[in-house]
Formats: sequence, C-alpha cells, structure tokens
Amino acid sequence: MRMFSLLRARLSSLLFRHRRESDLDEELRYHLDCETERLVAAGVNPEEARSRARRTFGSVQVVKEESRDARGTTFVEHLIRDTRHGVRRLAREWKFTLAAVTILGLGIGVNAAIFSVINAVLFRPQAVVNPDTLVDIYQNAPGGAPTGNTYAAYLDMAAYTDVFAGSAVTFIPHPATYSDGGPPRQVIVENASASYLTVLGLRPALGRWFSESEDAMNAPPVVVIGHRAWTTRFASDPGVVGRIIWIDGMPVTVVGVGPANHAASMNFGAHTDFWMPLKTIVLFGAPPRTFERGVVEPVFMVKARLRSGVTVTQAQAAMTALGARLAREFPKEDKGAGISVFASRDVRIHPQVDVILAGFATALLAIVGLVLAIACSNLATLLLVRGAARVKEVSVRLAVGATRGQLVRHLLTESVLLALAGGAAGCLLAWWTMRWLSTLDLPVVVDFSVDVRVLGFALALSFVTGILFGLAPALHSTRIELWQTLRDDGEVRGTGQRWFSLKNALVVFQVAVSVFLLAGTGLALQMMAAGRAQRVGYAVDGVAMIETNARYVVNDPADQPRVLEQLLKRVGAIPGVQAATLTRGLPMSPNGEGIIIDGANDASLQTVGAGGIWAGPGFFETLQIPILYGRALDARDREGALATAVVNESMARRFFGTANAVGRRFRTAPGDRPWMTVVGVCRDTWTNDLGDIVDPVPHMFYRPMEQWGQTPTTVVARTTLGSGPLVRAMELELRRVNERLPVLTAKTMAQVLEDSLQVAKGMAAFFTGLGVLGLTLAGIGLYAVIAFAVARRSREIGIRMALGAGSQQVVWSVARGIAALVAVGTTVGLAFWVVAVLVMRVAPVQTSGVANIQLYQPDVDPLAMLAIAAFTAMVGVAASYVPARRAARLDPLVALRHD
Amino acid sequence: MSDQTDLLQGTLDLLIMRTIAPEPLHGWAIAQRIQQISDELLRVQQGSLYPALHRLEHQGWIAAEWGASDNNRRARFYALTRAGRKQLTTEVSKWERLSAGVNLVLQRT
Repeated sequence: MRMFSLLRARLSSLLFRHRRESDLDEELRYHLDCETERLVAAGVNPEEARSRARRTFGSVQVVKEESRDARGTTFVEHLIRDTRHGVRRLAREWKFTLAAVTILGLGIGVNAAIFSVINAVLFRPQAVVNPDTLVDIYQNAPGGAPTGNTYAAYLDMAAYTDVFAGSAVTFIPHPATYSDGGPPRQVIVENASASYLTVLGLRPALGRWFSESEDAMNAPPVVVIGHRAWTTRFASDPGVVGRIIWIDGMPVTVVGVGPANHAASMNFGAHTDFWMPLKTIVLFGAPPRTFERGVVEPVFMVKARLRSGVTVTQAQAAMTALGARLAREFPKEDKGAGISVFASRDVRIHPQVDVILAGFATALLAIVGLVLAIACSNLATLLLVRGAARVKEVSVRLAVGATRGQLVRHLLTESVLLALAGGAAGCLLAWWTMRWLSTLDLPVVVDFSVDVRVLGFALALSFVTGILFGLAPALHSTRIELWQTLRDDGEVRGTGQRWFSLKNALVVFQVAVSVFLLAGTGLALQMMAAGRAQRVGYAVDGVAMIETNARYVVNDPADQPRVLEQLLKRVGAIPGVQAATLTRGLPMSPNGEGIIIDGANDASLQTVGAGGIWAGPGFFETLQIPILYGRALDARDREGALATAVVNESMARRFFGTANAVGRRFRTAPGDRPWMTVVGVCRDTWTNDLGDIVDPVPHMFYRPMEQWGQTPTTVVARTTLGSGPLVRAMELELRRVNERLPVLTAKTMAQVLEDSLQVAKGMAAFFTGLGVLGLTLAGIGLYAVIAFAVARRSREIGIRMALGAGSQQVVWSVARGIAALVAVGTTVGLAFWVVAVLVMRVAPVQTSGVANIQLYQPDVDPLAMLAIAAFTAMVGVAASYVPARRAARLDPLVALRHD
Repeated sequence: MSDQTDLLQGTLDLLIMRTIAPEPLHGWAIAQRIQQISDELLRVQQGSLYPALHRLEHQGWIAAEWGASDNNRRARFYALTRAGRKQLTTEVSKWERLSAGVNLVLQRT
C-alpha cells in the first residue's frame, strides 16, 4: 500500500511536472489571497494588507524551490537543466567544443570502424529458420580437433534419420570466374547438396534450388545465383532464371536465385555468388574419388537439422557411436578420432578457425583501443586545462552556495554531452569509412554496413568515455581553496612547479602510446624490407606471365592444353623472348601437399608437408633455376611415361637425407597415388610470396602437368627486352589465338612479387595511420597544456623579463618543460616496444589445433627508434611553437598588469 | 514576536499531520489552525509550510486534492493517508516520550 502510494506520488510528480508547477503557483497565490483577506478583515487597507502578506510569507521563489526539492524528482529536472546549461555553454565555447568533438570523433570513429568490420565478420547472424535445432558436424583429426568430413562419412551421418530430420553437405567456398557474355570476373562459388536449403528452412527468392537428379555425377550443370550477386551483378533481373551463363568457361543453366539474408554456408560476412550442386566440384578439378570411400581428404562440411525433441548432446552421443563404428569397420580410412557436433549458432567459419579469428579480432580492437585511450586522455587534458581556467568561476559559485556535488554533476553533464557529440561524429566517420570500404573491389563481397550493434558500441564507448574521463577533471577542478583563488594574486600559486601532475602524466601517456603504435609501423616496414631482401633465387628481370582459362573456348578437357600450347608457341616467337614455359596459376605459387617418402623409416617422415609446383618443359630454363643433380623436367615427362618430379635442395636434404636424391621416390598423401621418381634436384628458391617471411626456406617439388591430367593456365616467358612490353605483347598473342580467351592475370614477375607484399603494406599503412593520428592528438594535448602554462605564468614571465631576462631565456624555460614531457613519453613508449619485441622473439610459434601460426621474429631496430624519436620531437616543437612565441613576445608592462 | 516560539525541527510535520487528522484543510488554513489552537503561541513560518507539505506528500503520508474552499475558490486540500495515520501515531508517542523526558530533566535539576 505504502509502496504504491509512494510510487504514484513520485510518478505523478515527474510525469505532470508542468501541471505541478502551475498547481504550486496557484496554491501559493491562494495562500497570499487568504492572508490578505484576513488582514483586510482585521481593518488593514488592501494595499498595505497585500504587501504585508507578502512580507510575512518571505520569498515566493525560495518556497517554490524548496517545495520542488521536497518532492524529490529533482534528479531528472536537474539533468534537464544541467543539459540545457551545458549545451549553451558548449555552444558559447565553440572552439573548445569543436576541438574536443573532433578528437573524440576520431578516436571513437576509428574504433567503431574496426568494430564494424569485426561485426560484419564475427557477429552478424545468418538468416536460418529455428537456429536452435541446427547443428554442424565434423570428423576429428587424430589430435581430436574437428576438421572436415569425407563424403562417405556424411552418408553414414545422414542415415541417422531418428536423430536428424534432414542433413546437408557443402564444399568449402572457392574462387572461380564467371562470364555473362562480357569479360570474365572473379567470383566465389559454393557447392552444396540438393537438401541444403530445406535443411536451413529457407526458400529461394526466385525459381528453385537444384534437385537430387541435378546433383548427380555428369548431370548437366545448373546454378542458383546468390541473392547479393543477383542484385549487384544481374541488376535483380527476374528474367535471369532459365538463362545460360559461363562459370570457369562451362555453360551452366540458371535455375533460381538464393534467399535474401543468406550469404553463405560459412557465417563470416562473405557472400557466395553462385551455388552449384555438390557433385560439380569434379568440374572444378576435384578427382571423382573424393566421393568414394577410401583414404581421401575430409573436405566436406555437414549441417543437420535435429528431429524435434532431440538435443545437441543426444546428437553428439549418436555421432560418437558412429565414430566408433567407422573406426571398427574401416580402420584404414578412419583412425578412430571420433566426430564432434556443434550447435550451428556457436560456429562462424569452422571451430578451429573461429579461435584464431577471435584472437585476431581481440588484438585488432586492443590496438585501436589505444587510439581511443589517447583520445580520451586528451579530452581529460583539455577538460583539466579548461577546469583550471574556470577556477574563478567555480570559486564564485562555491562561495554563493553551490555544493561541490552540484558542480561536479554540472561538469560531468558537460563532458558526457561532449562525448556523445564525439560519438555521433565517430559514427559518421565509421559510416563513411564503411561506405568507402564497400566501394572497393574486394575479391569477396562482405556486408560492411553499420548496424544497431555498431551504434550501440559507439554509444556505450561515448558514455563510458564521458563519465570516466570527465570525472577526474571535474573532481580536480572543484577541489579549490576558496580563500586562495578569490584573492587577486591567486594565480601566482604553484605555477608549473609540480612535475608529477595529472596533466603531465596524461601527456606522457599519449606520447608513449603513439610512439608504441609508430613502432608497429617500424615492424611492418621491417617485415617488408626483409621480404624485399629475400634472395628470390629465380629470374625476375625480364620475366612476365599471362593467365587465362582455356575452358572458355574449348569444351573437351583433353583439347584444352592445346590452346595453351598454341599460345606458348606464339609467345616464344615474340622478338627478344629467350625462353617460355607453362604452369598453373601464378608462377612459383606452391600448393601445400602432404607427401609420403618411399622407404622412410623415420616415423616423423611418414607424412610431411611440401609445396608442389606445376611445371611444363622449359620451366627451369625460363626462370633460370639451376639444376644441381640430374635433369630438368622436359618433353620426355609425358602422360603415360614414368611419373617424375624435381625437388629442391632443402627438400632433398630434409626428406631424403642427401642433396643428390635422384632416383628416390615419393608420393602425395591421400589415397593410393602413383609414386613419383626424382629425376633432378634444383637449387633452393623462394616462392612468389615475399610477405611470407616466417617460414624457413620452403621444401618444394615440381611436377609435370601432363602426367596428372592438369590443364595449364599460364604462360611464363623471359625476354632480353623489357618485361612490361612483353606483357602487352603476350596479351596481343592471346587475342590472336582466340578472341574469346579471357585475360585473368597479366603481369611482370616483379609486379607479382610486389603485389605479394599487400598484407605487409596494409599493416604498415594501418599502424602509420593510427600512430600519426595518435601523435597528432598528443600534439593537441601538448599544445593545450603548454599554452595554458604560458598563460598562467605570464605574470612570472613578465617579472623575469622586467628583470632583464631575454626572450631566448623565456622560450627556453617554456621549451624545457615540453622537452621533458616528450622525452619521457618517447622513452616509455620505446621501452614498451622493446619489451614487446622481446616477447615476440621468445614465443614465435602459437599452436592452435590445426593451425600453427608462426609469428615473425622482429629485431630491435635502433634506426627506426631514432626516427620515431625525431618525429615525436618534431611534433613537440610544432605543438610548442605558438605558446613559446607568445611567451617571448610578452610585453612585461602588460603582463604585470595582467589580472 | 518574542513570545512566539519557533518550531523545533521536525515538529512542524507532526503538527501538520495532527491538524489535518480530523478533516482535510488547505495550506493557509493549516497555518491558521495551528496558531489558533496553540493560542498564538506557535507560529508557523509560512515559508517552510509548503516545503513541509510537499515533503509529506512525497513521502506518501498525506495526499492533496483540489476542492472548493469556504469562499468558493479552488484550493488544495491536504488529507492524511492510511500510512500517514500510522505515522502520526508513532510520531505522537515519540513526541510524548521526548517531552516527558525533557520535562523530567527540567524539573529534577
């Protein structure tokens, strides 16, 4: 009862604030009228009675104020009043406001932008009906970590119809090219079973999904266009269903358009452009035995819909039983590592990859968080400086009876207002950045839009920023000795004598963090330099390449190599060309393969990793890779002849125990592939990825394409004339072979190598951007502190100058303080960096299930440190130039009269 | 003025609640009633009457309602709530104990 009446009283007083206010007016007026009437009745004349009533009553305003206070809803009312007051004040001091909002906007904006990317990759959920009953199933690797599934195992899983209402299988999304009459474009193709969409509970936006009969070996290929690709690449044309388009040169029939809001089977923001039946992976080069039971790579992903009432735990139990059965029945194919079941909502890409991705996202947020820390501490600096400038105002207000709590609340409201404005500016910046990112022609389409989660993130950041970093200055600037500041000479007190002040600490912090970020740039540059300094070991000057896809002009796979051979012959005839050869993809990009060494006793050599490169005749001559033992691959290594290979020196030493491995045998791991006989050993070379400087010299082997039924895609040639003109000449020859042959890549070898440094370049740009941003912010903070110190010391400086100090001495006295702050900040930042480098050197390998992440082991680079120190010194000089000059130009007479 | 006693802190609340216990009254009437009943000994500071009324209302002990006054004007009448009656009883007994104690001290020393 009491609670209720209390609540009602409070609610009504809050909700009907305006009515209450007029009620109060009327009540008090009535009171005064009654009193006047009483006095008139007692014989006082009306005029006199009214004024006497007022006098006895006291101040109507005070009574109203106290009555309002008594009602206890003043928190909200105060908030409104403080906000109004704060907005007015910030509008008046627009220069300060602009600076603070810019600083915070940059800090929050950078964070919101990075968060948007992470949000797009990790958090945005996929459209799926009833996500609670959907599971992902993985066969485990021998260590117990979930990997993928073999097709045979998928069929066994699907047979558990008492557990699963339906099950679907997909193949890892892979790049391909597509053409709708025009030049081919890069796209992402995903292969899925006919059951896929039904299991997810979704319907195609247009047309239909492919049927069981279309997902059969050798069925004419059909395609479902991803919804995003349909809107962007086909302008949402409903007439597209039934048309024929070309994917990797194959004519395929469009049967439907995928559901909106469903991007891909993997939930990380990338959009699948084309869905094709699972069995069509054979058309993309997968061997048909992938679908048979045997020792094959587990390359399939399985999703299943639980029957109603079945829990994830029960499904796991059923799959554990299946795992045991498979290990019993097929001991050769299944090593008995078991099967894992995950609720689909807990998986983004793959349980193994998710861990790495989450770690990466955390690191990224931590790094940009540093920028926010700079921006926040900067705001704190500005607020402190402004608080100090407002000492007089605060003192006066304290003197006339404002409580410290009221003042703190007031100042806090202002800083929260600032932070919110900064947050809004930040959101704008993030939105703008994301729009720019969306216009980039990225190989994968990722939805970078700013959504509610991003806005919430920015809002939360602004609130925390405003309160956390407004509180210290607010408490600080209201802690005032009244008698001291109200005296006229209050300003002389303690001028800059205290070295460890909050302001100084904040500036040191900002400089230190910026220096740390700049050192990150140093690391990226170091990695790039290391990459460039790599001894490549093969010819780069005068070498050029052109990549195409013969399938676009010839249907029969057996005839496709002939197209490339024709091109090779034409390229060989270009004047200046000394040698030319065929390969697949970019030259010198190895395919990681597990291999088995014939006769290896050492258990650690049972299955080892090495990079395989497809090489046509003349490969070693064209790229000038010296053969140390045996011979190079040539025209003798035909289809039907003995399978041959050339290995590099370190592979020979590591796996065969001798540099001269000619005559030894090895084969690729899965299944019963034929043995390859080593016919030659070549000198070690680097791959075409200069950014990959973590690995020691890679173990590589070279195989002839013809013996493995592989179609060449690329012609590589070396000329004595420039490689640039050679690229153009090769493009011309390609068109002469067939007008419809697409140019997928045409580059000089030097370009290929330079492009491989993209990641390192991006990293350098990222750190440079953050570091420079941080240092700019720190510079603003420095400027604010110094300018304020000079303003406060103007009296002292005036006295000094009056006593004969030269302007040089004055400038020096100002500069000394700055130099100390910058020096301390730089030292701290660099010290942290050295520690970070040492840590990276100690722990170079991170093992996480399937993936071994090797970290680059950086050096402590004194030159880079010197450069960073010089840069911060420059920022220090720039920040202090104006205040120091102002100090030097002080007129002693004016300064002494000052205040 | 000097023969009038200023009200002790907190006693105003008690007096207000006691005054409106028999029937709802408006602000001015409450002040008048307290003065009359105390034979002009107690004088309510008019400036502190309204904050006290609003405080009591906020605490849920009294409730206000607009009504017509004797001279037929709109006035805010205050009445005790159920919780207010309970509170009044405790306050009265508290006051009685306090004044009894004070009296004893004054008489015996």
